[in-house]
Amino acid sequence: MSLVDVLNVTKEYANGEETIRPLDGVSLSIDEGDYLSLMGASGSGKSTLLNLIAGIDQATSGEINVAGTEITKLSRGKLADWRAAHIGYVFQTHNLIPVLTAYENVELPLLLLPMSAAERRKRVEIAMEAVDLTSRASHYPRQMSGGQEQRVGIARAIVANPTVVVADEPTGSLDDETTEQILQLLSRVNDELGMTLLMVTHDADAGKRAKRQIRLERGRLMENGNETTSTHLRTA
Amino acid sequence: MLGSKLLPWDYGVRNLFRRPSRSALTFGGLTIVVLLVLVVVGFIRGLEKSLAATGNPNVVLVYSLSSAADIENSSIPGSTASLLSASVDGVRRGHGVEYISPELYLGTRITTATVDEPGMGLVRGVTTNAPLVRDRVQIVEGFWPQAGEVLVGRLAHSKLGVQSDDLAVGSEISFDGKTWKVSGRFTAAGSAFESEVWAPLADLQTTLKRQDLSLVAVGMESPQQVADVDMFCRERVDLELKAVAESAYYAALQKHYKPVRMLGWVVVALVAGSGIFAGLNTMYGAVVGRVRELATLQAMGYRRRAILLTLVQEATLLACAAALIACVLGLLLVDGAAVRFTMGAFMLRVDSVGISVACTVAALLGVVGAIPPAAKAMRLPVVEAIKAI
Repeated sequence: MSLVDVLNVTKEYANGEETIRPLDGVSLSIDEGDYLSLMGASGSGKSTLLNLIAGIDQATSGEINVAGTEITKLSRGKLADWRAAHIGYVFQTHNLIPVLTAYENVELPLLLLPMSAAERRKRVEIAMEAVDLTSRASHYPRQMSGGQEQRVGIARAIVANPTVVVADEPTGSLDDETTEQILQLLSRVNDELGMTLLMVTHDADAGKRAKRQIRLERGRLMENGNETTSTHLRTA
Repeated sequence: MLGSKLLPWDYGVRNLFRRPSRSALTFGGLTIVVLLVLVVVGFIRGLEKSLAATGNPNVVLVYSLSSAADIENSSIPGSTASLLSASVDGVRRGHGVEYISPELYLGTRITTATVDEPGMGLVRGVTTNAPLVRDRVQIVEGFWPQAGEVLVGRLAHSKLGVQSDDLAVGSEISFDGKTWKVSGRFTAAGSAFESEVWAPLADLQTTLKRQDLSLVAVGMESPQQVADVDMFCRERVDLELKAVAESAYYAALQKHYKPVRMLGWVVVALVAGSGIFAGLNTMYGAVVGRVRELATLQAMGYRRRAILLTLVQEATLLACAAALIACVLGLLLVDGAAVRFTMGAFMLRVDSVGISVACTVAALLGVVGAIPPAAKAMRLPVVEAIKAI
């Protein structure tokens, strides 16, 4: 069994009288340790799929299993607890809490987990070191550059050692040089820490940095221009 | 487990300083609301205390049957005091003196030396027996009045609408065609007597060309013996007297002022209500600017309840700080401020009840003002809110 199993998932929402269906019977499997990039045009449903796997959106139909938990059946409260333990989310716009320091931002997900203050401190220090921002621990987001903010965002996403790290356009708001740094950092997260990574991007070059590249076109998953039939990637 | 899943306390506190001008405006508004509540509750409490402190259950008031409850209109024979002394048992006695105080009570225009316009004051003609019956009366400055002199209560100036210095010991006041010298000041434990001017009974009767009395106040050994005075009044139908325990008399007056007190509580509710709307408006503004941040916390795994509690914490902290400042301002500016009313004057009271009401209102402003905007922000789907600008 894969770490993430998306089975025949459809997502619909209403836009006035029109029904939009960004995902139409999509199936996908992600193994532990995978680094998968999800690409596609704007509105192709790539962020929708990522949000469904991250448990912050609800599928209209279908089933999503992550590390043996069928998250489509969890209540809102249970889903929040599950996210705290299993998902690390890297946002396009960093989404750091402005009134908290870099250290406190990274510590925030750990406050949801049962662990001692000493263990928390140790984990935050390791995460800050992994993104090479130990010296900026006491800085507030407004005192950091965009790249540094995103590195804090990545530290926050990995600090709880989540089952899956999801990154939604993590380089979308960064310049080329910083983009390269962030992509290298994400590769290290996958290679050195062994974390499973799912990245949504519209940037083909960024997407190629992943071990596997998937495209979403008109609600369908494609690999190499064709609807895929691989064991890891299925469409209904 | 709930405790470990709440957002850090610091997060809420620091958010208050995130938009200093907005927080300062809200803080100022909340302080004014709580201060207004304190003023209104202080008014109600001051009025209640003044009337309650005036009534002594051991003292019975004997006045004219035809005057209803208005002692100013009462006229009883000057001999009533000696008749009561001779006919009623159970009158309190000390050092060979019976606690019977014949009094003449009237409202009249009083002029002070510095103010041309006379003010409506309350004058009580008394003998040296009066302080025996009104045992909370204390001369705090000067001396008991002799002929041509008056003793003034500490709130008499408020009743007259003049400055306290205008009734200083040694100053002169005029009423009913005569000039009187202030010989001293007295307090009476916050009772209505404090707004009166006391003159020697005989002197006042001469000035007014009256030989009658308004009332006789009789100090009894116990409240049960008040009935003996009542019995005397019922038996001496020819005198047309009525006996009422002083506490019952002022309790009846309290009932008379009940609509005023009720109106006061309505004002408290209205002020608090307007404060809640102001708080709601501010919190809506504050929450709208943080939609993405709140969604990020949800994406991280924080439950809506925890985020809601934090928003309530922020608003309640601000409201409680405002309540603290309002209470300090209330104690400095409101407590003890004199207010005139028909029966004299009383002081606004910022007491434990007022402070409790103010703190409760502040807490309500915080909680009720924060929940609707917070709940609205929480209802927004996380996937939408997370990309909000």
